[in-house]
Amino acid sequence: MSRRASANLHRSYREVAKDFRDNPGQFEAYESTGDCVILAGPGSGKTKILTTKLARMLAEDVRPPHGIACITYSLECAGELQRRLAALGVEEARNVFIGTVHSFCFKNILLPYGHLSDLQLLSEPSIATDEQRRDLFESALKTAVSADEQPWRWRTRFECYRRNFPDQDGEEFRENDVDAANVVLHYEAALRERNLIDFDGMVLNGLRLIERHEWVRRAIRARFPILAVDEYQDLGLPLHRIVTSLCFNAEVRLLAVGDPDQSIYGSFGAKPELLQALARIEGVQAVRLPFNYRCGQTIVAMSETVLGQARGYQSKTEQAGTIDFYERPEGLAQQAKMICEELIPEVLGRKPNRRLGDIAVLYLDKNDGEVIAEAVAAAELKYVRIDKGAPYRRTPLTRWIEECAEWCSGGWEKGLPRLSLLIRVWLGLDRSLRSSSDRRARRLELVRFLFSHRDAKLHLSDWLDDLFETSLTHTLHVEPALADQQVALAELSAACRDAGKLAGITLGAFSGQTGSPQHLNLITLHSAKGLEFDAVIMMGMDQGRIPSWSETTSAAKQQSRRLFYVGLTRARHEVHLTYSGWTENKYGQRYLNGPSEFLLEVKRKLAET
Amino acid sequence: MKIDRLQITNFRNFKHLDVRLGEHAVLVGENRVGKSNLLYALRLLLDPSLPDTGRQLREEDFWDGLARPLTENDRITIAVDLADFEKNDEQLANLAEHLISSEPMVARLTYVFERVTGSEDVNDFDFSIYGGDRTENVVRSEIRRRLPLDLLPALRDAEGDLANWRRSPLRPLLDQAAADLDAIELAKIGNEITAATEAIAALSPIKELAGAVTARLVSMVGIGQAGDFQLGMLPTDPHRLIRALRPLIDGGRRGIAEASLGSANLLYLALKSLEFELLVKEGRRDHTFLGIEEPEAHLHPHLQRLTFRHFLEERGASGQTTILLTTHSPHIVSVAPLRTLVVLRRDADSASTKAVSTAHLDLNEADVADLQRYIDVTRGEIVFSRGVLLVEGDGEKFLVPILAKLNGFDLDELGITVCSVAGTNFLPYIKFLGQTGLQIPHAVLTDFDPKGDLSYGRERVIQLLEAIGEGVDPLETADEEIPELGAKHGFFLNTVTFEVDLFRSGRHKSMGKALQDLAKGQVSRDRAKQWLADPKTLDEERFLRDITVIGKGRFAQRLATVIGKMTSKMCPAYILQAIEYVAARIR
Repeated sequence: MSRRASANLHRSYREVAKDFRDNPGQFEAYESTGDCVILAGPGSGKTKILTTKLARMLAEDVRPPHGIACITYSLECAGELQRRLAALGVEEARNVFIGTVHSFCFKNILLPYGHLSDLQLLSEPSIATDEQRRDLFESALKTAVSADEQPWRWRTRFECYRRNFPDQDGEEFRENDVDAANVVLHYEAALRERNLIDFDGMVLNGLRLIERHEWVRRAIRARFPILAVDEYQDLGLPLHRIVTSLCFNAEVRLLAVGDPDQSIYGSFGAKPELLQALARIEGVQAVRLPFNYRCGQTIVAMSETVLGQARGYQSKTEQAGTIDFYERPEGLAQQAKMICEELIPEVLGRKPNRRLGDIAVLYLDKNDGEVIAEAVAAAELKYVRIDKGAPYRRTPLTRWIEECAEWCSGGWEKGLPRLSLLIRVWLGLDRSLRSSSDRRARRLELVRFLFSHRDAKLHLSDWLDDLFETSLTHTLHVEPALADQQVALAELSAACRDAGKLAGITLGAFSGQTGSPQHLNLITLHSAKGLEFDAVIMMGMDQGRIPSWSETTSAAKQQSRRLFYVGLTRARHEVHLTYSGWTENKYGQRYLNGPSEFLLEVKRKLAET
Repeated sequence: MKIDRLQITNFRNFKHLDVRLGEHAVLVGENRVGKSNLLYALRLLLDPSLPDTGRQLREEDFWDGLARPLTENDRITIAVDLADFEKNDEQLANLAEHLISSEPMVARLTYVFERVTGSEDVNDFDFSIYGGDRTENVVRSEIRRRLPLDLLPALRDAEGDLANWRRSPLRPLLDQAAADLDAIELAKIGNEITAATEAIAALSPIKELAGAVTARLVSMVGIGQAGDFQLGMLPTDPHRLIRALRPLIDGGRRGIAEASLGSANLLYLALKSLEFELLVKEGRRDHTFLGIEEPEAHLHPHLQRLTFRHFLEERGASGQTTILLTTHSPHIVSVAPLRTLVVLRRDADSASTKAVSTAHLDLNEADVADLQRYIDVTRGEIVFSRGVLLVEGDGEKFLVPILAKLNGFDLDELGITVCSVAGTNFLPYIKFLGQTGLQIPHAVLTDFDPKGDLSYGRERVIQLLEAIGEGVDPLETADEEIPELGAKHGFFLNTVTFEVDLFRSGRHKSMGKALQDLAKGQVSRDRAKQWLADPKTLDEERFLRDITVIGKGRFAQRLATVIGKMTSKMCPAYILQAIEYVAARIR
């Protein structure tokens, strides 16, 4: 980093840090000098403290060639961190990594060190596509257990087992579930044989390298003496062990941020206890951020009721906030209809300048998403939908395409997103680009494409066709690491043609969807984490759905509770809860279990106060 | 940190060079063999001041032996392996991504110049640099800034650089010092200088002179253009005051412009090395590779020895500077640590330059110290030799060249050095000159030294054969076969000792005469006379004792004078065989 860059950092983070004086938690974290765990509730300003503290550490605590790695679980969070840090003058560089745990493990552990270890890792593994993984898993299952097994019954069992028992040499792994252990071993051997790696494999092999080899820990520590982890509650056991091995075994300084109450990925192996355990480690400074700058007072109070735990968060907002309940015994479709025809107009009318983008409808899964999307379309409301029923999966590549689209449809005038970042990703796609003239030519190609396509009215399909005319298509074919992303790209391409969900969409409409003030947000509860809206409508809040009939253990129920909590705490002013009072199983049998017990708890508590 | 290994393929003189290096490298070789090209190869990887246009090579930079036109498979590669960095966190941070070995850690950086992929144009070549043998792991300029190579070229204008503030190596050092100065104190000094300067300028002859100049300027260009001419001594602004400091020599009596070229160079080196240390200390770089081309120019031999003994001290200072110097100076070679020597030679067979080094000699510290001392006192002669005859002592050292010349071998002309190991410990020398060392053709001449039925010399040859991997099984091999086996590998035995064998070769007259001349007592003179008259009466033991009393060296010198005036070719056979053996191996 040049001296000028650090001077820029200097000014901006100090300016932001002035706000921390009135917030004891944020200030304590900002002043921390050792390992620090920040427990950050909803709306507590955690991204602000994380990014500001990172900028400060980069300017004051490390100097090149040392640097900081900032990792998080999802692509969305990583993108958000990159944007927020860029505003403070911090950008990815040789000594600054900002990205997902998977890409950290792949780029900064497996590629440089994998081939030097005894793990039989080759230096250039390809990333397995979904299809390859499915095939390999199914044949592993057949070989290891029996040809009669139903893969769908095994999938979760296999994935959880693989994540929860990373020590394959250990007795625990061998004996806990012998069949599952064999499937895992067969599956991993098959991947290795084909020189493939999958996302869990990146983390698991990263962990093995770190735990086995002192020299790997030393090398990582030299490059990144500070490790920051966002959304820690979403990390599973392998990642937690990577973190603890680096921080308590190799003296890497830790800055972890998260909220155990928002841990909702238990089915992927996330465990809220890990963050709690981390905060209790001797010598780790644990800081709880006390204020909620988002939710009205009633919403804060009621969310704690749902949680069943007193966290003592204080709402720092002016408003009280409202929570209302709506029963539609006719079923989910009626709830959706009511939402579109009554609730949304009311919410819009309650405040001048309020727009569709200020409202979110939250629901459980993509089936609910279909129901509400249909109703919204019938009511002729514009919307953007984030769930598994979305037109295409988000990957780093589709994310880059979205940003290019944004640049072309007006972003270029504001310099947002920045052209240099678009070029950097573009050049990073093709790792065979080694010489400077190759890179120059490739850079020129993108810049030409972008400049000649600066028109928000272009059809996305035409724009994509022209983009595929560039060397992108060739790169996708030759670059093994992009194999899995090709599928997502094909989905996007198909979606904007003929009868696809994005048929006829223009570049401007496509790029302006997420976070657009004109579009109603339809989002699953899981995907809503980290977002906030003026008004939140939670649909289908029936007992048997949340908690689900299958969530019988107290741990599972607890997670469901946290999911409900996440939903409530997305709202600034208004929460609306709709339900029918019954659920149906897949054979059409109806269970009259009433509304969700979480909803009832809130209702009861509201009545008391 | 050090450069552990350097591989160069298809670049200028080098078809394929592969050499291991020690802590530093002292590069020796004849003119035009490619010493500077080797440094340039390193600059392609490590010199941040080399612009990309300098990294973009040309067709003529490909090794001449490659057929033209070049094909798409022809590429220039330069790979440097770095080691000994893992204990330094900064260096490790730079190199961790580029490892090719983990325990101990070795990192590799590779420069490639090759045809642009897919290009039809036969002249469309481009370079790339990658790390850790992973071609997609592109190395950016940052690593060159963090681990730079600075080159001090031959015949540089040290004096000019010192005089020019912008280029002066003094500048960063003064700036650093100035940062710690007390501003108030400095302002006070500034005022005092101002006062003193004004006092001088106020002296009437000075004032009149300034006035005269002003008047002339006005008459030339008019008042508007003439400006205000003054005479002063120094700018007195506190900050500029520091920059006005100049290096002075001879107790401050003379400026650097008046210094000899040698002193200017010396000062330049001192300032540069301080600057590099400062840059590491300030965290602006993490190591320095310092290339120095032929630094001997204008330096007195003693200064060369003193300066470079200091610079090349193994693990000097804190290991933050790796020195790579090219030289023709035996004075520098003689003080170079043993494991730093790299010799470049033209290999006629492949029409390219090969390199050998002493970095990985399998020697214990005592042997290293012995060899080091030998090279030091002989001023590095052996390193520059094209062939070496290893002998036991001064006797051979003085006489072998004379005997060779009489038999038609001018050892000087052949480039063969006779090297006395002062004893019989040939092993370190064999390793130094052998396949894992400098690969200089050599032979050992050693005494048979009979002891009853046994022979010390034979045992010695058996051990030497063992050491070069040609060991013999004592049960399978008859004693009589040993001399012949030894000779096959360059270990030549006589029948008794050098002096006795020489005596028996027909030189008894000269030897007897020399003995007579030098003998102290009448008894020994008489003995000499007797042996001269009847060589068959020689009492070998007595004879050797008499020579020892005189001193083998002194005796040999006298004998050399005597024999040198003759034309007789008489010489023990093993000596001639050894000379022929070495001469045949010199290309």
